[in-house]
Order: sequence, then C-alpha cells, then structure tokens
Amino acid sequence: MAHIHLPEGALPLWAVALWSVLAAAVLAYAVYGLRRDGLEARHVALGGMVAAASFAVFQVNIPVLGGVHLSLTALVGILVGPSLGAIVAFVVNVLSALLGHGAWGFLGANTLVGATEAAGGYYVFAALRGQNWDHFPAAALATIAGLGAGSLLMGAIPIVSGIRGVAITGGDLAVYMAALVAVNLGVAVIEGLLTGSVVRYIASIRPDLLGETAQVSQE
Amino acid sequence: MSELTSHVPDPRLLTTYAEQGTGPLHRINAWTKMAVLALAVVAVTIAEGLLTVTAIFVVVLAAYAAAGLPVRRLVAWYTLPFVFVTVIAGPLAFGIPGEPIVAVSHPFGELSITWEGATTYFTLLGRGLTVVTYSLAVWMTTRYADMVHVLGRSLPTPIDQVALFAYRFTFVILEVIEALLKATRARGGSLSENFWANRTLYGRIFGHTFIRALERSETLLKSMQARGYHGDLTVYSQVERPPARELVVVAVLTAAIGWYALTIRYGVIA
Repeated sequence: MAHIHLPEGALPLWAVALWSVLAAAVLAYAVYGLRRDGLEARHVALGGMVAAASFAVFQVNIPVLGGVHLSLTALVGILVGPSLGAIVAFVVNVLSALLGHGAWGFLGANTLVGATEAAGGYYVFAALRGQNWDHFPAAALATIAGLGAGSLLMGAIPIVSGIRGVAITGGDLAVYMAALVAVNLGVAVIEGLLTGSVVRYIASIRPDLLGETAQVSQE
Repeated sequence: MSELTSHVPDPRLLTTYAEQGTGPLHRINAWTKMAVLALAVVAVTIAEGLLTVTAIFVVVLAAYAAAGLPVRRLVAWYTLPFVFVTVIAGPLAFGIPGEPIVAVSHPFGELSITWEGATTYFTLLGRGLTVVTYSLAVWMTTRYADMVHVLGRSLPTPIDQVALFAYRFTFVILEVIEALLKATRARGGSLSENFWANRTLYGRIFGHTFIRALERSETLLKSMQARGYHGDLTVYSQVERPPARELVVVAVLTAAIGWYALTIRYGVIA
C-alpha cells in the first residue's frame, strides 16, 4: 500500500481539512453504495476480518529493499470490492495511526490513496478475468495498476498541499515526489507478484471467495 | 518470542500494558485521552520552530515515562518513523538554502547541508515522534473495552462495525500468521533469505491468512446470527463522561493552543 509517510504537522491545516473532507465524501459514497446494493451482516463481518488480516500482514517484514511492509490493499479490493475496500482502507489507516505508523493528519489523504488502490485492483482484476486471463497475471497486473494509481495520488497530494517548513515547492518538489513515486512503483511490482501468488493460492483452495466456481475436470 | 517484526509495535503487547498497567495515564478517562490526542495533532501542526516542537516532544515523552510505559521499546518503535522522516524529509533538507554546516563537492556542483536544513529535518522528526509517542501511550493505557466503546461511539455505522470486528480479530489473525511462520521455520523454510526464491511461500502464507480470516468471518457470523445478531454489534462497555478536573485540563490546553495560534503563530492578535 502506498502511504504518505510524511510526519505529523507536515501538511498545513487547510490541506488536512481538504483531504479529510474528500475522504469523508468517498466513505459516504462507499456506505451509500453498500446500502443501495443491500448491506448485509456478512459484509460487515467480511470487511472487519479482511481489515484485521490486512493490518496483521502489515506486521510481517519482507526482506526486500531493506525491508518492506505490505498491506495488500489491492488484494482487499479484489476480495471485497471497491466500497468495502475503501472502508477497510480507512480502518487499517486508523489502526496504523494508533500504532504510530502514519500520521493522524494524513488519515484523510491516506484513506484516499488506499481507496484508489482497492478500487483499481478490483476493476482491473475483474476486467482481466473477464478476458479469461489466468489468476496470477490478472492479480499481479491489477495490483500494479491499482498501486500505480495510488502512488500517483500519493505523489500529487504533497505537491498540491505543500510541505510545511520546507521551502522547496512547485517543479522542484514535483521532481522529488516523482522520484518517490518511482520507488513506490518498484514496491508495487513486488506486491503485484506477491498478490498474484496469493490470488492463485486462494483460487486453488476457495475460488468462491473470488466470486468464481471451482473448475471440475472433464474426464 | 514474537515471530513478527520487532520495529512495529505488537498490538497484543500494547493491549497487555493497557489491561495490566496501573499508571497515572491508565486512570485518565478514555475520552480525555482522545481529546488530548486531537489537541496534540493540532499543536504539532501549528507549532513553529525547533524549540517549540522539542518542548512539546519532551512533555509528551515525560508523560509516557511517568506512566510506567517501556521507554527502551519505544526507541525500537521509533525506527519506522525515523526511517520515513529521514528518507522523505532528509533529501529535502539538502535543498534548503542557508549557512552550510557541511559541504561536499561533486562533478555537478556542491552538496551541502545547512543549519536551516538541519533545523527543518529535526523539526519534522520532532513533530512525528511526538504524536507517535502519544498515540502509543493512548493504546497502552486504554483498556480494550474502553477503546471499543470509543471506536463504537466515534465512527458512523457501518464503519464502526467494520472497525470493531477488525480491532477484535487483529489479535486472532496475528496468531494465525505467527503459527504459519513458526510452521514454515520448523520445516526448514526461511523468509529472510531472498524474496524471489520464497515468493510462492509468501503467497501461500498471506493467502492462507486471508482464507482463514474469511472462513473465520463466515463461522463467526453463523454463530452470532444464531444468537440474534442482525448487523449491529452492540457495545456494552461504558466510558463515563470525563470528570470535571480533566475537562478543565482539556479546556486549558485548548485555550493555550488557541492563544499560541492567534498571537505567536498567525499574529491575529498583536
């Protein structure tokens, strides 16, 4: 999951308010969408469990690039859809902020990034599976696309907001954020490969969790 | 021994401190602690200058230590915030003009870190660590039932329901992951050798974690529905209104931050 790791107080108050309001609007739309489509108790339990799994997986250190922590946001989107995925992204960000990972002032901004990744993962995976792509490449590409979109948003937010106390703005800041986005895209490829493996494993054990039925071999 | 990474706080350890501790912060009302958390975020956001930020950080750190919370572990938990500030804000500090502390010549010119750049870096670090310290203190001094009550009352439905499920089952899922990692190690597997060789292993571990999570949610839902659950996870714990003395402290802190913002920070009042 792309995450704006700038420390607390790096955003001006107006930007904190702006991204928080936008995130609230996205969450309100997600709740509206869930209710419109018929919110059931199982959706709530499913969202909570997936959020717990995502938060727990984040605590495993992947020994790449000196250590990477993944939240598998795109996988969450693939499993529970964009609306519940946005809510899960918010909940995981709240729990992460309580752990000191992620600033409270960036809760709105990071929720927008997470929701983008979940939605991107879901829609690209659905489109590729619709074209009869195999699970591994479909999930890997969907994750890279979702995380890529999230990374671009992650880079854009500090450029729009500015960073308090840092005199670098405009084009110079854009160049710097572009470098950060490039690093994130590298991590997105790693997470894409991992998500591809995860989805392939889930498809082999419980294809119904992906909204699919088991393939019965014709003899 | 935890199988998980040591530089991310283990929620189970934090909750153990919350349930078993009896320090001064444990006795403060959960709503008061949440209000002060919001004030701390605002304070470090509007605070100007290294001295002011350092003062806030020292006060929060002193409160953390006085509460009987583990200071040495806190240093380990600072690893991630420190790395993030260094990686993200560190290079920016090199671009801030001013009086150089150190300058290194290279084929494209000169790379220098200025006093102004160093001040910016430490100010950002101080802001980040202040809120990290206080957030961890809140978790480690607020009982599980009180935390659940605050979450349930603060968030709208169904977000509160998802958050309550997530918070409760984070502990269960952590144990699932630890068991999988232990089983991997017991069979001669390793996650710390190289990623590419182990990518399928990682995929199976994380995939199995999600499958277990989803299966648990199905089982849990059936058992809850058998007991009358219809989509509303009722919170029976109760956190009373904060006592008057705590409300006074929150009011004083709010007034102090407001005064600082209006006079020193924004100069609205001369």
